[in-house]
Amino acid sequence: MSTEMQAASRTHRSAGAAARTVLLLLRARAILVLLALLVLFSVLAPEFLTANNLSILTKHVAITALLAIGMTFVVLTGGIDLSVGSIAGLGGMVAGYLLTQGISLGGPVHYPPVVLVILITICACMVVGVLNGWLVARAGVAPFIATLGTLYIARGAALLISNGKTFPDLGGAAGRAASGFPAFGQSFILHIPSPVWMMVLLFAIAWVIAVKTPFGRHVYAVGGNERAARLAGIRVPGVKIATYVFSAFCAALVGLIIASQLEAAHPATGESFELNAIAAVVLGGTSLMGGRGTVTGSLIGAFVIGVLADGLVMLGVSEFWQMVIKGAVIVLAVGLDQAQVRLQAKLLPYLEAER
Amino acid sequence: MARFFLAQFGLAVTLMVCGGCHRADQSKKLFFIIVPSEDNPFFKAEADAAAARAVALGYRVRVDAHDDDAYRQDNLLDAAIASNAAVLILDNAGADASIAAVRRATKAGIAVFLIDREIEARGIAKAQIISDNDQGARLVAAEFARVLIGKGDYAELLGRESDTNAQVRTRGFHAVLDKFPGLKLVAAQSANWSQSEAFQKTETILEAHGEIAGIIAGNDTMALGAAAAVKSAGLSKIRIVGFDGSPDAVDAIRAGEIQATALQPAVLISKLAVDEADEFVRTGSTGKPEEQIIACDLVTRANADEYRNFEKVR
Repeated sequence: MSTEMQAASRTHRSAGAAARTVLLLLRARAILVLLALLVLFSVLAPEFLTANNLSILTKHVAITALLAIGMTFVVLTGGIDLSVGSIAGLGGMVAGYLLTQGISLGGPVHYPPVVLVILITICACMVVGVLNGWLVARAGVAPFIATLGTLYIARGAALLISNGKTFPDLGGAAGRAASGFPAFGQSFILHIPSPVWMMVLLFAIAWVIAVKTPFGRHVYAVGGNERAARLAGIRVPGVKIATYVFSAFCAALVGLIIASQLEAAHPATGESFELNAIAAVVLGGTSLMGGRGTVTGSLIGAFVIGVLADGLVMLGVSEFWQMVIKGAVIVLAVGLDQAQVRLQAKLLPYLEAER
Repeated sequence: MARFFLAQFGLAVTLMVCGGCHRADQSKKLFFIIVPSEDNPFFKAEADAAAARAVALGYRVRVDAHDDDAYRQDNLLDAAIASNAAVLILDNAGADASIAAVRRATKAGIAVFLIDREIEARGIAKAQIISDNDQGARLVAAEFARVLIGKGDYAELLGRESDTNAQVRTRGFHAVLDKFPGLKLVAAQSANWSQSEAFQKTETILEAHGEIAGIIAGNDTMALGAAAAVKSAGLSKIRIVGFDGSPDAVDAIRAGEIQATALQPAVLISKLAVDEADEFVRTGSTGKPEEQIIACDLVTRANADEYRNFEKVR
């Protein structure tokens, strides 16, 4: 090898290393943004980095994270679920109704135990998930439209249950069997709030499903190339329906947690939660086109949104600036996502040369 | 790429500037003020008055809005607890949905003072200072009957039906108006407190009942929407009254577009709440009963100049 060639190869190699560093930074952008926010808020707000506040913060993150984890699978198939906020609202109202009004089958009013209330609520929400999945996979309605429709249907149903009113006193009143509901979202296990445990558990399950199971691979395949997936023998409609039902299940948990924390069910609960969930998923690097993304990314995305929201409140930043900053972070993250894709293509020769 | 980093840098600077200007002496006690929204003049006046008074009394202040979302209110409350707030001045997100939140704040050692809206529970908050919606509604209804000289068809625009204040006000209106045999309610519609909805509803009502003599609205925003619809229909004889005493409505009263409103003393209530909270912080007691109901003022063309931004200035 001549000396010129050696020099050229050396510059190529160092360029390759630089390219790899840049790409690594871009891939880890969500975590970097999260770390930057944590440092920033810790410096600016003295109360931010306390065990108490971090526990509260994680409890808030859990709400967005639960929705985002469910949403990730839907987005991975190339779909979207706009109805999760409404389903959460509906879930709270179903639970509120059962706890305060009970069930009466012509005879005396019977108050189901809390566990049964929770199960019925989850089932009711999953019915909406089945409807979403059926509309998308069988009826061929575009996911955006199908779930926009169920967004209104579920919200309307939530308002109809109580005629727009709030179900108060879900803590259990005299003469009602159901007490103990507040424990669902308010209790602590090993000093950690119960919603955080649910988030951890659901994340673990979702991670295993996405990475270790055939179903997980099918989800990626459907989102990557639906036609190829079908030809490969994957039952595409079944996969899609399952993702919407799972998303509805996550939304049901959120509805139950919020009703339990507030000890009241309000029909407007969960408005615009779907947007936070979608933002978390996108921040985590999942492509809205489907086929590319991770559950871990969505969890980090949910943390970014949660830390940002709580940190800005602690700093006393005005509500209007909070909105502007949140929007800017989302746009920035997606911009970086596009930059990564373009840069990856451009840097390919350098990365190849290194081999 | 450079642009992205520039944007990120800009964001960081913004954060630091905004954060910096709100950082204050940590030894001062913190008053956390939460109102429904900061883009509504009523709640803005309420929040500003409370913040100004608390700062004047030597406290640190933080203001935020829950957008009538009980869950967001709950999150803000967590922030108040985490920031070791001494006092919470709260215009709450629902009489039923806020009980657990207020109880939680009280348990965490925060003295909660409720303004403008009450909760359906006693003995948790240190004070509940509200304006007298029933008295205000009767006041404005009596003025409405007076300007109509006790006769004619009229329409009513109601607030959001799930809102307690909407119910109290309409009950107050009818406690007075139903005693006049000459006054006949020909249309009653909810316009959800909204100006644009009131405009549309009034246009529809005028199509069906062009001959009505007056419109009574559950708040000023709806009254202004109705006034705009009446104007665009080319009618001028229709008398309109509202409720709240918003600056826009007071201006419209001065211009003769609407006839009267009941002014809720939002600024006074905020100041009372902060003063009592200050008393509580210093002595451990407010020295006042929990429930305090403050009377509304009737604003008409005759006294419109005495009121500015939810406050009697003269």
